[in-house]
Amino acid sequence: MKIREKILAIHSSRGGTGKTTIATNLAATFAREGLNIALLDIDFRAPSLFGVFSKGIQKPVKLWLNDFLLDRCSLEHALVDVSEEYGWEGKLLIGFANPAIEAIRNMLGRSKSWEVAAAKKLFSMRTPIFNDMHMDCCILDTSPGIQYSSINGVVSSDVTVIVTTLDSLDIRGVKNMLVEFYDEFEKKSVILMNKVFPQTRMWSEDELNGLITRMEKTFKHPIIGAIPCYCSVLEANRDSLLVVENPDHPFLKDLQEVAKRLEQL
Amino acid sequence: MADGTENRRPLDELETKSLLVKLIREVHELNQKFDSVVEFGGKILKAQEEFLQRTTKQNHTDRTIKVEPDMVTLFSLPNALRKTAMALYKLEEATAEDLAKETKRLRAVESSAANQLVRMGFLNKRREGRKVYFYIE
Repeated sequence: MKIREKILAIHSSRGGTGKTTIATNLAATFAREGLNIALLDIDFRAPSLFGVFSKGIQKPVKLWLNDFLLDRCSLEHALVDVSEEYGWEGKLLIGFANPAIEAIRNMLGRSKSWEVAAAKKLFSMRTPIFNDMHMDCCILDTSPGIQYSSINGVVSSDVTVIVTTLDSLDIRGVKNMLVEFYDEFEKKSVILMNKVFPQTRMWSEDELNGLITRMEKTFKHPIIGAIPCYCSVLEANRDSLLVVENPDHPFLKDLQEVAKRLEQL
Repeated sequence: MADGTENRRPLDELETKSLLVKLIREVHELNQKFDSVVEFGGKILKAQEEFLQRTTKQNHTDRTIKVEPDMVTLFSLPNALRKTAMALYKLEEATAEDLAKETKRLRAVESSAANQLVRMGFLNKRREGRKVYFYIE
C-alpha cells in the first residue's frame, strides 16, 4: 500500500459515526503493513486517542499536541512513538490531545488570533512530517461538525474522508457540508459509509452496489466504502485497538479495501 | 448753488495728483488687507479640510469590516479571495508571483486579490526592495 505524503482528515458531520475507530485502526493497519504513519488527535474538545493507545504508551506523555500548537515545543517532540510496543513493521507516531479537563478548557477559550496561528501551524507541519520524520502518511482525527479545529484540520489536509452512517440526519449533514464547506474550500472529499447494515443480515453484492450508486448520486462525490455494522466492534472496549485485539476481524479487511481505494485517489 | 458745491474751488493739478496718489496708496493698503483676509481664510479652510479628513478616515476605518484572518472567516470571503488567502496559509509569506504559481492564476489577479485582502485587514504586506510580500499576521 502506498499513500505517499498525503494528509488525510477523517471527518464527519455528527458524532457517533465511527470516525475515531476508523482513524485509529486505519493508522494501525498501515503501520502493521510497513508504512510510517503520523496520527494526530485534533479533537481538543473531546480527545480520544490517548485512551485508545494508553496501553501502548510506556512512558508518561510529557508533551501533547496542544503544546505544539501553543508554541511550547516542536511537532517532533509532541509525537509519541508507539510502534515498538505493538511490534509493527512501520512506525506509528501519535500526537495526543491532552485529555485533562484543564487542558480542554484552555483550548475552548482560545481567541480568533490564536486559531489563525494554530491553522498556520497545521499548514506548516507537512515539511517536518514528510521531510524530516519521513512519514508516509498523516491521518488527522478531527472533531465532528464545523468547529475551528475541524475546519483547520480539513483545510490543511489533502483528502477528507467523510464518515457517515445511513441515518437521515447524518446524510443531510454531509450533503450540507459538501456544498457549503468542502466544495467551498475546493477540498478533495470522499465518503466512507459506516454501520451500513447489520452483520446479522449481510447484503448481497448487488444490494451493496445499488446503495453505493444511489449514495454517489445523492452526494455527487465518490464513495470509497460501505462497512457493515459489526456488533463486536460496537461492543468492544474503546480503549483498545481492534488491530491488536482481533487482527483478523472482517472490519479490518473492510478498512484494507478502503485504504486501497484511498491510494488510487 | 444749493447742492453744497458753491464754496468749493476747482482743484488744481497738484492737488489732483496728490489725491490720486493718496487714493492709490489706500487702494494698495486695502489690497494688502484683502490679501491678509484671504490668507487667513485659506488657513481656516485648510484646518477644516484636515479636520474633515481625519474624521472621515476614522469613520471609514470604523466602518471598514476588519476581519480576523481565521478559517471561519474564510467561509465568508468570495471564492476568488479565499483562494489567495488559503495559498498564503500554505506559503506563509509570498509575493503575487509566488501566489500565482500556487493558485495557477495570473499574477495580476493575485496582486489584486491580495491587496484587497490587505485593505480588509485579512493580510499584511511588507516591502523588500522592489518586492512586496504578503503574509497573515
